[in-house]
Amino acid sequence: MSSRRSSGQSTAGVSRISDEQIIELVSKLRQLLPEIRDRRSDKVSASKVLQETCNYIRSLHREVDDLSERLSQLLATIDADSAEAAIIRSLIM
Amino acid sequence: MRPPSSLRQEFLKKWMMGLQRYSTSKKNMSILERKKAIKLSADVAIASARNGTTCWSRALIANGYSKDGGDDKHLVEQILGPESERLIMKKVLTGGASVCNKRMRSKKILKRSCGIQRTRKFAPQVALASSIAKRLVRKRTQILRSLIPGGEFMNDVTLIEETLDYIISLRAQVDVMRSLASASELASEP
Repeated sequence: MSSRRSSGQSTAGVSRISDEQIIELVSKLRQLLPEIRDRRSDKVSASKVLQETCNYIRSLHREVDDLSERLSQLLATIDADSAEAAIIRSLIM
Repeated sequence: MRPPSSLRQEFLKKWMMGLQRYSTSKKNMSILERKKAIKLSADVAIASARNGTTCWSRALIANGYSKDGGDDKHLVEQILGPESERLIMKKVLTGGASVCNKRMRSKKILKRSCGIQRTRKFAPQVALASSIAKRLVRKRTQILRSLIPGGEFMNDVTLIEETLDYIISLRAQVDVMRSLASASELASEP
């Protein structure tokens, strides 16, 4: 949150974004991405990180979609407040 | 980085609350309708876990508000509770868009002015390599912007910050949905 506030030092209406902020954010992003994290290299270009990020987000979206599809078939008979739902909830936690 | 279990529990609780909104019409829903209901309540639930603090969550909630069937009980109201729904809708309608639009406008002006100078200063070979790299980054940033909800309103730094939070939340959502799917499969085995 604090970094967002400091980047909004817009005096003349032009936001000053420091390079260190961008580098720090990109390195955090790298740690989240599954493929790049395993590669031991410091010199991963920004465009590669962006590409991996987009691919990863797209695959996550696809997974949510597939899971919704599966669940819509499975949860057909399960009522939200029934005993079965309670059992499932306890299984997940 | 595994999403914290608190996030997953929060999401599960809110998602279940959201699904209850459909409990009356559940018997008559087609599979496609049910899938959309599940997906929509999951999205609004994971967005509400952020309590309106991030741009993407506000955009998702606004999206859920408009996509909802819209009878007496709104999905968003079910998940957020009537008080917080009003607060968040205020943030979405007033705060978020105007601030981000100002940033985008000033960023565009800066980009336009920089672009004119950039081509004149550098030697041809350096200009080619760096301009290709910059073009790639710009193109991929645009793609990322289209993937994050509400991305069109963010500047570059905000976009990356929001991406970090969005990925963690998406992971929590996927984890919980996957667990529920496998648990349901186990439970439904004869």
